[in-house]
Formats: sequence, structure tokens, C-alpha cells
Amino acid sequence: MRILIVEDDLEAAEAMARGLTEAGYECVKAPDGEAGLVEARKGGFDVLIVDRMMPRMDGVTLIQTLRRENDQTPVLFLSALGEINDRVAGLKAGGDDYLVKPYAFAELIARIEALARRRETGSVATVLRVGDLEMDLIARTVHRQGKEIDLQPREFQLLEFMMRHAGQSVTRTMLLEKVWEYHFDPQTNVIDVHISRLRSKIDKGFDRPMLQTVRGAGYRLDA
Amino acid sequence: MRLPRIFRTTPFRLTLLFLALFAAAASAFLAYIYVATAGEAARRTDQAILREMRSLVGAYERAGVDALNQALIERAAAERPFLYLLMSPDGSVISGSIGESPLEEFDGQPTWTSFRITELDQQGRRIRRPARGLQQRLAGGEALFVGADVGEDEAYIDTIVLALWGAVVLVIILGLAGGVIVSRNVSRSMAGLIDVVTRVRNGDLAARAEVRGTRDEMDELAEGLNEMLDRLERSMAGLRHAGDAIAHDLRSPLTRLRARLEASYIDLEAGKGDPEHALATAIEDTDGVLKTFGAVLSIARLQAAGSAPNQVLFDPRELAADIADLYEPLCEDKGIDFASELTADLRVRGNKEFLAQALANLLDNAVKYTPSGGAIMLRVRRRSSGEVEFSVTDTGPGVPEADRARVVQRFVRLENSRNEPGAGLGLSLVAAVAEAHGGRLELSEGPGVVGDSGPGLRVAFILPRAG
Repeated sequence: MRILIVEDDLEAAEAMARGLTEAGYECVKAPDGEAGLVEARKGGFDVLIVDRMMPRMDGVTLIQTLRRENDQTPVLFLSALGEINDRVAGLKAGGDDYLVKPYAFAELIARIEALARRRETGSVATVLRVGDLEMDLIARTVHRQGKEIDLQPREFQLLEFMMRHAGQSVTRTMLLEKVWEYHFDPQTNVIDVHISRLRSKIDKGFDRPMLQTVRGAGYRLDA
Repeated sequence: MRLPRIFRTTPFRLTLLFLALFAAAASAFLAYIYVATAGEAARRTDQAILREMRSLVGAYERAGVDALNQALIERAAAERPFLYLLMSPDGSVISGSIGESPLEEFDGQPTWTSFRITELDQQGRRIRRPARGLQQRLAGGEALFVGADVGEDEAYIDTIVLALWGAVVLVIILGLAGGVIVSRNVSRSMAGLIDVVTRVRNGDLAARAEVRGTRDEMDELAEGLNEMLDRLERSMAGLRHAGDAIAHDLRSPLTRLRARLEASYIDLEAGKGDPEHALATAIEDTDGVLKTFGAVLSIARLQAAGSAPNQVLFDPRELAADIADLYEPLCEDKGIDFASELTADLRVRGNKEFLAQALANLLDNAVKYTPSGGAIMLRVRRRSSGEVEFSVTDTGPGVPEADRARVVQRFVRLENSRNEPGAGLGLSLVAAVAEAHGGRLELSEGPGVVGDSGPGLRVAFILPRAG
């Protein structure tokens, strides 16, 4: 998978590229918005990681330009400021996700995975299947090995998100953002409790647990 | 040439402008009065002459030229204010009070004329007076002239014109004097404001304009300026405070982090210790510092902005129900009884993200401090004042009454929570969110002491009436 890193902090870009290369990605770096635009126009990237504030051309302008040129490559915005306004402006400009610096590396990887995957599938399936787990999005029902599993609405949303990102690590912050649509950091382990409830419903009584805890990152749903 | 200051002031210039406009209007008005008065006097004279003429022509037509002659002599003797002249068809004078017709040419049609008569006054001086007259042909071919002295009318009109000019001059003098006085007054108040602006520009943020209590726009301006400065000063103080708080809140965890890293380094040099554990702890400590930094930054931003951005009107029950849904399993997991009581159909105005975060912080705190077996209640209701109140009540140890006011203050933490990174800032952030919505935070005792738990804490987050 190829990733373009557009970031003016060269040390941070280097650290990110090293980490991503180790994780198996191919990285290209651009030191400012204009260089980033030149690289992005060459095409062939699966995800663009773009810093909001850069010399020459800021991240928002860069992405607006690309979107106008009908380049739909998923974009992850990076920003040192975690303000709501910044995030909303970034997403409006055509960004697909938003990450506040400093971030845990596991968080970055999880978000890149999610973005790249979303591009692959992008389908309008009405039934999701992961292993022997099956979710009917129209009837709002979940079955595992043919047995119906009764879920609360929020648990259903949580499981849907996990199934759409099956095989990938998803972080607690991602869950809070994508399932609950909150953008703050709780001081307590609220998400863990929801996951453990969901786990007890889909894994209890079955020989193989699907919902895994990934140490230092979050959770993963395995087939 | 440099004009004296007063002539350069805006009010004085305005006064001059208005004075010019007023003088023009007054002149037009005076001209109208002159034309109307003079015209009226002339018209009346003409009518009197016409009446006299008709009466004489009537006498002539009834009784002939001798009777007319007789009438003229009688009338002249009766000192009527008219001048008469009767002429035969060949133009020679038959009788009259003037020597000859002022008309140089006469074609037989009734003809009006203005002329001058010469008289001797009591001292024997010759004076010329203006007069007006009408000459017309009689049936028998004779010509009759009737005139009147209009000297008195003109003298009267001259008096009026003089009075009018006097009035114009008076208006201009009074206007100028008024302009100077008004300009001085306005300049004096303006000078006060300019002085304040100058002092603030030079860095004296404590400078304030004098409000004279006249409730005019100068006072309004002064009040506005003062309010602006108050707000500016508060923001600056807030920023300064935030700076102090950041320093205070970050110094101790950073010091701790450094001490631990140093200890690990010494251990590792000595060949003992666990590098993995040391690094993991260091990362954890750094996260704590960053979390604190984020909270302090959010508070400072909210305080600097004055009011929360992106405010919308919404139903607070949905927001509270969502948050309740997020925290309910956590409570159950910890053996805490969670209940919510959410009034329907209320409206509040606010930034949903900040309000959700505020509620989450309140519940975080409640869960953190409530022991297993305790209870937490989330409530949304309308106060009789129309304000909307979100409240979280727990059965934890509570906050001593003496400390409650302090806890709500920005960046103040209770001593016993000092060692938990970021803790306490939660409440400060909630207070900042409340303030950024024009609301406030109220702390009171919870349900009281039960066994060895309690008395609990009730935190009410109060938002003003929406709309």
C-alpha cells in the first residue's frame, strides 16, 4: 500500500515514514503543500496524510484542489490543534478523517487501515458477514452460527463498525468518534465496558472468540 | 494657515454647515415675506385708486364734466389721500391737484404708472416721494388721472426689510455662538475618550472613560468603551491565568517524568532495571502531560473566545440520554446504581460537543469518586427561572462546603487530588464550558451520609433560558 506524507516537520515526517515502512507500507514524503500537490497528482496513493498547517500551501487548500480535480484518494488530516472548528473545516474541505498531534502510532495505523479499507469496499451491501457472524442491515438482526443474537441499538452500531473493519485494529478513540460521534477523550474506560458487553453477547457460548483486544491499540474483530 | 482648534472640531464644522443651510432657508423665507408684504401694499393702493376712479367716472356719467370737476375740487379740499387731474380732450388741464399728467404718452386705454411727486416740507425743503396712478379716457373725450402717494407704504416696507436683515444677522451670531459652545462641550467629552484610547494604546489597560450620567450617546460610547476594555482585560487576565495554570499543571508531571527517566537511566547503567517497563511508564506519563495540556488549552481557548462557537438550539434530553447510554454500562460494571430523569421538550442553545464533553466530565468524576454499591443520578429539568439544569448527583465523599466555590474556579484543584494528572481540570473545563454559554456551575451536598459513604456531591450545570 502506498502512502503520501505531506508534512513540513521533517523530523516528524521521517519518524512517521520509518514507522509506516516497518508496518509494511510504502511511503513518499513531501515537505510542503505545493510539493505535496505535485506528488499527489502523480497518483497511485492509497491514503494521503496531510498536515493542516504548512508553508506555501496549507493542507485544506491542497485537498480542496485535489478534490476539484476529482482525485478521491482518502485523506487523513493531521493537526496540532484539536479544536472542533479545525476538524469540521478539515472534513468539509474533503478530508476523510482527522487526527490530533501528538498521537499514538497505533492510532495512526488503525486510521490508515480504516481509510484504505473503506476505499476497497465502498459497497452498499445489506448483509455483512465475518466468519460465522452475519448482520442483516435491513432487518437489523445479527446471527452467529444461525443463532440470533439480541443487541441494543448502540451495540448493533458498534458491531457494525467492527464488522466493516474486520481484521483491522480499531482504537477506543475511533469507536467513540465513529459510533458515538463524540470527539473528546473520556478519563474513564467507558468504551472498554461497551466492548466487553458486546463480547459477552457475540462470543459467549461459542468455541472461538472473535472480538480480540489488541494491546496498546484497541480491538479487532477476527473471522 | 492653521485654524484654532475649535474651528477644526467636527461639531463646529457641522454647526457651520447647518448655519449655512439655515441662513439660506431664512433668506428665502425673508424674501418671500418681503415680496408678499410689498406686493400686498401695492395691490391695496391700486384697488383704492381704482375705486376712486370708478366713483369719479360714475359722477361724470351721471352728471357730466362740470359735476366731475366740482367733485374733484370738493375731494381735493376734503384732503383725501389722492392726486387728481382732469384734462380736456385736447390735453389741456381743466383742474387737478397736480400740474401735469405723469404719463408722457396716452393712447386712450386705461394706463397705470408709477412716478414721483415733488413737495415742499414744513421747512421748505424739496422732497420727492414715490406715487402711483391710473389715467383713463372719459366718454366725452376728456382724460382723468387718479393717483396716490405710496411713500408711507414704502417706508413701512423698508422698516420690515431692515428688521428682517437684523433677524438674519442675529440668527447667524446666535448660531455661531451656539456652535462654539456645543463644540466645546462635545470636544471636552471627546477629549476624555481620546485620552482613554491614547492611554490604552500606550499600554495602560486600566484606563476607563468617565460616564457623566447624561445617558446620551457620549455616555453610551464611554460605557461601550469601558465594557470593551473590561472584557479585554478579563481576556488578558484569563490568558495570563492560563499561562500560570499551564506552568503549574505541567511542571509537576514533567518533573516526575524526568525523575523517573533519570532513575531508570541510572538503573540501566548499573545493569539492572527493566527498559521496557521504564519506557512504557514514560509514555504513560507523557500521555498524562498531554492530556492535561489539552484540557488547559481547551479551557484557555473557551475563556479567550468568551462564548462557545457553533451554538445551535436543541433538545437537551437527547444529549443527556446519549451520554447516559455511554456511561450506564460503566456504572453497572463498577456496581454503581445509575439512574436518569430527563424532562422532555426543553430547548437549550449551545455547542453540542462542548456540552456533551461537560456532561461526560461530570459523569467521569462521579464514577471515579463513587464507591461500589453507590448511586449516580443524571437529571435534566427546567428551573422555575426558565433556566435549564443538567445535574449529576453521586454518593461519593463529596466536596467540603468550604472548598466548593474554589473547585469551580478556573484551574483550582483540591490538594488531595493533586497527584492525579488532569483530574480536577475536568471540573474547571466544565465550569469554562458553562461560562462560555452564559451559564454557571453550582455544587451542593449529595443525598447525605449513609453508612460509611457520602455525603455525596451534586453538581448542577445551569444554562440560561434559550431564545
